[in-house]
Amino acid sequence: MTNVLTVKGLKKSYGTQMALAGIDFEVRAGEVFALIGPNGAGKTTTLRIIATLLTPSEGDIAFLDHDLRKEPGLVREKISYLPEEAGAYKNMKGLDYLHFMANFYALDSEEEKTFVDRAVAITELGDRLKTKVGTYSKGMTRKILLARALMTKPVLAILDEPTSGLDVINALEVREIVRRYVKEGTSVLLSSHNMLEIEFLSDRVAMIDKGRILDSGTPAELKEKHQAKNLEEVFRSSLR
Amino acid sequence: MKRFVNLLKKEIKELVTIQLVVSLAFTIMLFNFIGQMSRKEVQKAVGVQTISSLDLDDSASSRAILTGLASARFKIERIEGKTKEQAIDIARGGDSKLLLVIPAGFGDSLKDLKPSQIETYSYMRSFSLIGARGSAIVRGVISALNNVLSDRFIKSRLPDLDPASLKNPIKSKDFVIVHDRMAEASASEIAGMVSSQSMLIPIVLMMIVIYSSQMVISAVAMEKQNKTLETLLTVPIRRTSIITAKMFAAGLVGLISAVVYMFGFKSFMGGIGGDELKAATSQSGAVMRQLGLYFDTTGYLILGASLFLAILVALALAMILGVLAEDFRSAQTMIMPLMFMVMIPYFISLFADINTVPLPVRIFILAIPFTHPFLVSQNLYLGNYGMIIGGLVYMLVVFTVLVVFAARIFSTDKILTMKLRFGKKRTATA
Repeated sequence: MTNVLTVKGLKKSYGTQMALAGIDFEVRAGEVFALIGPNGAGKTTTLRIIATLLTPSEGDIAFLDHDLRKEPGLVREKISYLPEEAGAYKNMKGLDYLHFMANFYALDSEEEKTFVDRAVAITELGDRLKTKVGTYSKGMTRKILLARALMTKPVLAILDEPTSGLDVINALEVREIVRRYVKEGTSVLLSSHNMLEIEFLSDRVAMIDKGRILDSGTPAELKEKHQAKNLEEVFRSSLR
Repeated sequence: MKRFVNLLKKEIKELVTIQLVVSLAFTIMLFNFIGQMSRKEVQKAVGVQTISSLDLDDSASSRAILTGLASARFKIERIEGKTKEQAIDIARGGDSKLLLVIPAGFGDSLKDLKPSQIETYSYMRSFSLIGARGSAIVRGVISALNNVLSDRFIKSRLPDLDPASLKNPIKSKDFVIVHDRMAEASASEIAGMVSSQSMLIPIVLMMIVIYSSQMVISAVAMEKQNKTLETLLTVPIRRTSIITAKMFAAGLVGLISAVVYMFGFKSFMGGIGGDELKAATSQSGAVMRQLGLYFDTTGYLILGASLFLAILVALALAMILGVLAEDFRSAQTMIMPLMFMVMIPYFISLFADINTVPLPVRIFILAIPFTHPFLVSQNLYLGNYGMIIGGLVYMLVVFTVLVVFAARIFSTDKILTMKLRFGKKRTATA
């Protein structure tokens, strides 16, 4: 299986504060790779670097055949990023927002329509898309943001806590949508605190703490290696 | 280009809200309303006004005063057979704004060359300047009568002399020279005309700069507050395009807002000035043309270029300040340094000559980019092209440096990590 993303010796520091102390991992084509760890472990910093928002202090990042540091513009064409605390333009109608975002990726109006139709199907919001985003509930906003991230069928979708703040039903729907798009060829780099979600979605997992990867593998491999019943126990075992 | 246009459209739509349109429409209506009201007041003031008079003398001289006032478009309401105190009470109950009391013996005193005194009682029914115009006209009429009477006395005593030559043995004729052109006018008149003609430039600049800057700062701060900035920075569009789209949209909307405000302001000023101001402007315009103190096409282009560069500098600076703002509320605070930078040269240009202030102060003032558009009109009139070109180049350099700096911020982590909190230490977070 080919690698979509290869990260080697990634370091990031803010002044004297070291956020990432050298991490290595790769995301393979058509898989969900998850980063799990406590708050401040370096998950979001890693995702932000891969999303071209932050520049690494050291290390190499290859996305397909692009050097992420040298060709961020080309990388942005093929990825999409859903931040943990993301919002949409409140004065825009949902449909207008989707068109606005699709326009950046589409080659022509026909492709833009295809992207938007796909997003409309993901959101299942129907006529509510004709109302302003400012009137949406948190779940509706999160769905439209997820739809925005997946509508272009990116090579790599970077999802930071995709179900953050959602109720059980909405969270389940979001997970199913992610799973469906992975089947259609999108690779996913995911971060979550929710071990249940990680177990449901992820093909492979990396445990991260204090800017270092403690362990990685498939959920089954990790559970067997740490003789644990679930990923929470694996994580606790990794921290020891 | 398609992506840039897409972003630009979004930025304009974000800025042109119903609140903005309503606010602009309301401003025009308000200015227009005040202008109309002022015009009516002016018309009332220059129209026929009622004055009460108590002529206790009833001599030829006292009648001459009242005739003079009637010819100055005053309606005289004569109060007869009353004492001064009674006349004051009667006039208080009527519409008169002024009571003129001519004491008994007024005419005889004048004949005997003794100082004569008349009394005026102004009824302050409002404190508007236009409302108080009546007493000023009465004073003017009395001054004219004084002249006539004193001329008559001089003529009777010294028939061979011209009273005007006796009263004003030295006559002055004022000329103003600007470069190789000359016109009959006083320097203070010309300075007044130039400053009144140039008055609109700083006001326009202040409005556009403040509006546009506020919009840019708010646009960036709102992206942060609404958590849309991170997503926008990861879409396939150049960071410089994001900056340009925000600046262009804010500049455009700011310009339209300023034009609307200026339209309203013009309507307001037109109301205050009325026909008298138009006539005065037409006369002074002829003198200004004679002195070459007017803008030709090149002059307007230079002035436009200077204003445009100042706006660009303000927008670039606002973009950087917007990055420092944490949210919309802190963005409102961020506009303050920019406002001071515009207001300092504005007030200095109102009260002082920049060429005569001490050198360190002059350097400080000239270092503020917004000073140069304020000076352009004067420098154009005086032919100081070195100062004009220097100012344009300086603003271009400042703009370039600021845009490069803004682009650098947008291309690095600083767009997400730079924050300025007032009252707290500057911090970098991720």
